[in-house]
Amino acid sequence: MAALICEVVYRGIFQKNLAARITRGIVLSARKSGRWGIAFGRYGDSPQRNGIPAKDFAIVADTKEELEQNMARYEPKHVDVTIAVDDTLSKGVESWAWYGLQPINRLTVPNGTLLMTSLQSFDSLLQDIHKKDAPYKLALLRAKASFSGLWVYREDHTEVRILGALAKIAPSFLSLDGVCQAIREIEWGSDLKVESAKKAHERLESREVKLTEGNAEIPYSFEMPKWWEMREGVTIPAIPVGKPKEAGKGYVPERNPYFKKFTTRTMRPVIDFDTCVKCTLCWIQCPDSCFDVMPDGTYDANMEACCGCGVCEAVCPVEKCITMVNESVFDDNASQWEMWRSDKERYKAWMNEKIGDKNATVRSHGFRFRGQYEQELEKNLDGGGVEITAGIPGENAQHKTV
Amino acid sequence: MAETTTFSNATQILEPFRGVKRVTIEEYFTSGHRTCQGCESALVMKLMVKAAGPRTIVLGSTGCMYVANTTYYTTPWVVPWMHTQLGSSGSAALGTAAGLKALMRKGKMKTEPINVIAFCGDGGGADMGLGAISATLTHKEYNSLILLYDNESYANTDIQLSGMTPYGANTTFSPPGKAKRLIHTRWKKNMAGLMAAGHPECRYVATVCASYAVEMMNKVRRALTIGGPTFIHSLDPCPKGWDYDPMLSHELGELAIETGIFPLYEVEDGHVKYYGKTKAIVEGRPRKPVREYLLKQGRFAHFIEEDLAYFQAKVDEMWEKWEIPAVVPFRRLDATKEALSAK
Amino acid sequence: MAVVTPAAPAATEEDKELLISGSEAVAEALTLADLDVVTAYPIRPYDTVMQAIAKKISGGQLVAEYIVAEGEHSQFEIVKHASTVGARVFCGSSGVGWMYAMECLVVTPPLRVPMVALVGNRALDDPGAFGVEHNDALVVRDLGWLLCWIDTSQEALDTTLIAYRVAEDRRVFLPLAISADGAFLTHSQALTMVPPKSKVDRFLPRYDRGDLQLHPDNPITVAPQANEDWVIEIRRQNNEAMARAVGVIEEAYADFRRVFGRGPENPWFEEYMTDDAEVILVGMGTISLPIKVAIREMRAKGKKVGLVRLRWFRPFPTEKLVAALSKASAVGIIDRDYSFGSPFGSGVVANEIRAALYNSDRRPPLLSFICGLGGREVTLEDVYKATDLCYAAAKAGKSDPKTHWLGVRE
Repeated sequence: MAALICEVVYRGIFQKNLAARITRGIVLSARKSGRWGIAFGRYGDSPQRNGIPAKDFAIVADTKEELEQNMARYEPKHVDVTIAVDDTLSKGVESWAWYGLQPINRLTVPNGTLLMTSLQSFDSLLQDIHKKDAPYKLALLRAKASFSGLWVYREDHTEVRILGALAKIAPSFLSLDGVCQAIREIEWGSDLKVESAKKAHERLESREVKLTEGNAEIPYSFEMPKWWEMREGVTIPAIPVGKPKEAGKGYVPERNPYFKKFTTRTMRPVIDFDTCVKCTLCWIQCPDSCFDVMPDGTYDANMEACCGCGVCEAVCPVEKCITMVNESVFDDNASQWEMWRSDKERYKAWMNEKIGDKNATVRSHGFRFRGQYEQELEKNLDGGGVEITAGIPGENAQHKTV
Repeated sequence: MAETTTFSNATQILEPFRGVKRVTIEEYFTSGHRTCQGCESALVMKLMVKAAGPRTIVLGSTGCMYVANTTYYTTPWVVPWMHTQLGSSGSAALGTAAGLKALMRKGKMKTEPINVIAFCGDGGGADMGLGAISATLTHKEYNSLILLYDNESYANTDIQLSGMTPYGANTTFSPPGKAKRLIHTRWKKNMAGLMAAGHPECRYVATVCASYAVEMMNKVRRALTIGGPTFIHSLDPCPKGWDYDPMLSHELGELAIETGIFPLYEVEDGHVKYYGKTKAIVEGRPRKPVREYLLKQGRFAHFIEEDLAYFQAKVDEMWEKWEIPAVVPFRRLDATKEALSAK
Repeated sequence: MAVVTPAAPAATEEDKELLISGSEAVAEALTLADLDVVTAYPIRPYDTVMQAIAKKISGGQLVAEYIVAEGEHSQFEIVKHASTVGARVFCGSSGVGWMYAMECLVVTPPLRVPMVALVGNRALDDPGAFGVEHNDALVVRDLGWLLCWIDTSQEALDTTLIAYRVAEDRRVFLPLAISADGAFLTHSQALTMVPPKSKVDRFLPRYDRGDLQLHPDNPITVAPQANEDWVIEIRRQNNEAMARAVGVIEEAYADFRRVFGRGPENPWFEEYMTDDAEVILVGMGTISLPIKVAIREMRAKGKKVGLVRLRWFRPFPTEKLVAALSKASAVGIIDRDYSFGSPFGSGVVANEIRAALYNSDRRPPLLSFICGLGGREVTLEDVYKATDLCYAAAKAGKSDPKTHWLGVRE
């Protein structure tokens, strides 16, 4: 191949600066071996929204002409390397501008590579990643997702570790020397970061994914109407009003069928219906109207609509009644309340298992106080800037202290 | 042709929700929107129409609550909703109310009080749309509510500073740099006070914060019930532009009130009434230091002590020097006399 | 859908003859049309129509919401929104006022808002000037606005009624601007036949917004934000509505003649002495007066000259116009507008007609003139000069591509 096309799939805003650094780094590294390149964000994803999946691209080629060939379209239709910097994206992504869910590996070419930062095993990731009609490689960097906000960046070396890994995946375009040289020169580079890149290059884990492997579910897709099928006056029907849950009791709002927000979610609320005092706060404070009112007056978070902001946990007055848990430990969007109703003991066991996993309940969704990132990273950087575990154990709720 | 008017300026009588358990269970703004995790403005939309009920028309001017909130085929709105231009929330409210009134008084449409609510962001309302809103607040014969959701920047377009962005905040139009630590040194407009003071026939102006959901909804219900043009200013923490963990939206709303940076009050027929934690502050409860609020947000991460002190001093001034504390920046008459005699 | 109307008027319903200005004629039409919402803002010359409407309101002849806005932007936004809930609306402006409303003029066609607006043509600033120029109205020519020019008080009244019939037709639902030259609007009163309401009711049905009406009984979301997946389809719909307007306009004029017993056979343009014309001059609006007088003078001297006065500019009557002009041995287009840097530096009308003629088998020499800008009087001498240049081109058998400015101090 005479051109290398990479996409970075990431969490809007939380990883905006991270993704920009990665695609910039790819082009500047390839430049060291005389390649031409371009780095750009998917126009349709801008303006980004916190957590909603977005994409950046980097294309490097031997000649300007080859570069133009790959630029002459709205966005690449296939990529050699798909980079996902948050493993909860493995469940598929519904971007800000799309209709319907797209598998994380949708654009990855046959025998291409899906590179992810994750602490999960290959097999558990492949339960989420959709099946593909061609074999490809899954490559893993051991790290948690790196989230920060618009203004304050979390210097946890994720961007350089991705570049180091790419030098292993596509050495003909990104030599390790080129990467290290580029990191030294770049405004946010440092010798310590060069070390991180080298370690990542050594430690990258990779394996073939066979046709038979992966999540068999067929994702929702949306049929675009013809111009004469669309209502005139830029008019669309409103959402119907909702209905009682059952037997005239409770309430379930109608929801827009064309955009489900759950692929924005990196953590989901797990609810202890036994300790719920029915105070209504989670229901009334939810910006996404995702709580259904159950016949018994408790509230069930609809997992198709919940985007995992965590406001419900923050406003819930009862200790451990609502707990945000990492999305990767769940397999489906089934109703927690129905599970609880059918077998309370089984539900309690399930719930305790989920909440018990401290790695899964540690939260890291951007800025909380000045100096936070430095505190978190100090100990990790002593070890040479690798194996950084982002997150603030117990910072957001005492009972979660590891 | 003689005027045969069967139409009065009747409004829907919306009694306040007495306690959170009495709140309407139906949602008139539901899922489908593409706003940020923890978007407080989306919550404001939900509570606004929950309070208003099904016989309501909502007009939305350009901004986050348009672009993120209502994309083609993926509307979250249950009640009728229409886009209006960035500076047009005032005109949209007025035109919709006038159209309904004309058709009803001429017997071309069933006569009933229909709530008309137009919302605007701080850019659309306090910057570009100020003139149109001001005009609408003088048209007392048309019932409408203009709700300004203030997330303190042009949050949709990439967080550029607006006339409502707080002093010194980091935005894409005011990045802190080596030569200039603070590019944005204007103090935020006092919108609610401005609207109340400037429009003697506007019967109701209020400030709200969605962290206090029931009170917020009751202010909306009061505004719609009292009739004529009314105005509500809502302060909405913005996880994207303010840079904080979305989980903290609710907490930051509370802190804005407890530090006294954003006061909660209503002005009904000219009478100022503080409520909630602001009332406690007026009655002597100490305000929390502003640093507790500012340093929880990435947009103020570049602040040094000097900036924090300036910010605190300006907020103290609101409470200690203003004739009507935190509402109107006029100085007390005696203070003015002192100042003059000192010269 | 097509409106079927019962045939000719009963003897009892007589038109009454009034001596009124173009503005007053429009106000009479709006009263007969039972207008619901109107917004005013001062700028001359158009605002004389608002003064006339205000009198109708205070006099009680017209029951409507009459709102004085705080600027043209709001003036147009207010009626736009009133129209979406089902109200019949009217608005208008002139020159830079129309420009100040530009954002709102842009959004009405995709929203399919059938507002009717009066543009009192006025030169654009700077310098501030009251005189007529057509550039103000012409800025909406690409946006999906229906656009026509009127010439007399009677035409002002009749066209206003026709405007609502066309714009509010469900097949069209597009905004419509009636352009009128300053002077006659404000400063000349003409004898005008004002029909009784009974006739108007038979011609003009109630505005029914149907499934596009914004009302709690018809819950819809209007104009959600759209990305590249949708916009071109929405434009395509607009293009179709503009195409359908052609048939609706012809239908409306035919019906108008049935009900009121007057009105032109050809809605699109007026032909004056063109049957045997060797040279045909083309213009829009009140410029037709000096041209007609000059034509009579020249015909007395044996020159066979005719005039085509364009009424409708959007939709543009391409085929009909080509048929009317291609029989002449030379065509002279007199623009009361400019398009700096355009092909041959011609005015807007000249360039549109040039484009219209391009594919026709017979292309007579076409000359382009710019005249009467800023309200400068168009003199008989200007018309003679234009005609002589047309005859010269006819003799040479080819067009002089250069654009001639008439009545400029040189």
